[in-house]
Amino acid sequence: MKIGDILKWILLVWMVAVIVASFFYVHPAEGFIGESSRIVFFHVPTAWVSVLAFLISCITSVMYLRRRDPIDDVRASVSAGLGLLFCFLATVTGAVFARIMWNAYWNWDPRQTSITILLLIYAAYFALRGAIADPERRATLSAVYAILAFVTVPFLVFVVPRIYWSLHPDTIINTRGANEFDSRYTQVLMASLAGFTGLFVWLYTVGSRVEAIRLRRRQEVL
Amino acid sequence: MWRLVREALAVTAKDLKAEFRTRVALNSLGLFALTTLAAVSYTIGPYRLHEDDRPFLLSTLLWIVLFFASMAGLDRSFVKEEESHTAPLLRLSAAPHAVWLGKLLYNVVLLAMLMTVLVPLYGVLMGFRPQLMVSFVAILALGGFALAATTTIVAAIISRAMTRGALFSVLSLPLLLPLLIFVIQGTTGSVTGDTETVSNALRAVASFGGIMTVVSALLFPAVWND
Repeated sequence: MKIGDILKWILLVWMVAVIVASFFYVHPAEGFIGESSRIVFFHVPTAWVSVLAFLISCITSVMYLRRRDPIDDVRASVSAGLGLLFCFLATVTGAVFARIMWNAYWNWDPRQTSITILLLIYAAYFALRGAIADPERRATLSAVYAILAFVTVPFLVFVVPRIYWSLHPDTIINTRGANEFDSRYTQVLMASLAGFTGLFVWLYTVGSRVEAIRLRRRQEVL
Repeated sequence: MWRLVREALAVTAKDLKAEFRTRVALNSLGLFALTTLAAVSYTIGPYRLHEDDRPFLLSTLLWIVLFFASMAGLDRSFVKEEESHTAPLLRLSAAPHAVWLGKLLYNVVLLAMLMTVLVPLYGVLMGFRPQLMVSFVAILALGGFALAATTTIVAAIISRAMTRGALFSVLSLPLLLPLLIFVIQGTTGSVTGDTETVSNALRAVASFGGIMTVVSALLFPAVWND
């Protein structure tokens, strides 16, 4: 058994443990309706992973512009796709929480607005990729756009939601530097963050390998 | 550095001269803006809005008209070069940063011309009167510059793609949405006389414009020399 296979099985066990822990190990937090506080173990990691994925997309785009290796373009597009997926999941989990807490899935709260803009920006990335036939030009232009798009991410994820008053609960990165959670919550949240990051790394590795094989086959045909 | 500025001004002058011959972008910008303004003014006019709603609704409508007019006309700077096959000659004649700066100034001039016509007309037709006039002009100027900076780099990107027209709006609007939010807030503040909102908005718009300008200056050679 290779190390990759062992890690995959560890990831499976870890994620099962996280899911079980989020329902049975922690108690519902104060100030939240019913069991809704448990969503933090899925909402926060998906949001974190999407920012991580967009960062990797930006870094691999910079690398592509420097060394013009097609594999960097492959990695950038795979990462952007995963970022979009996790961003969508973060939006949906947030909307479910909003329905429970404030009786409306969507009310254009500043955080909801900024995550929608983020989704649109990265959906436009794929629209751009679809509109260019030449592979090298597609790689260059989408690398430029991915870098431009990532410049807006800190604005949208960290700045805009803090300028305007929002219904969103206090985040981990807050002005008081305080951790409001009890220790069980912190443990499960950290474990969930690690698990989701591992999940992203796995999806990213597999996706990059598949796309790299597709790229090689296309080049062989030519 | 002066050589760069001279080259950039030469590019701007060339574009403006060519534009005044055919007036394609000016017509697109102007007619879109005037038609939209006519529709808005006819349906809403100066009387139909409740007094409390007027500041933010009128500010929103003004910037929506300006943004969508920009989508109609601000991609011409690069698309025209590709369509008339003059892009290779421009690559040989001027340094990439000079081309970028020249095209940016061209977009700024087009937008300034549009605003000079549209904003007073909007004031007349919609009864739009900002209390803080200097702040309002500052928001127009900074917001317009940030808009031009973003649309210039996106126009450069899409000019090399296949489906140019639709793609320009698809790529620009998500990037411009944060700017749109800030300028609408600032304009609302200048109408109501709220100096704190206006100063926050001006800071946000200036930083957005600054970041976009710097990043697009760094990225433009990669797009242009491809």
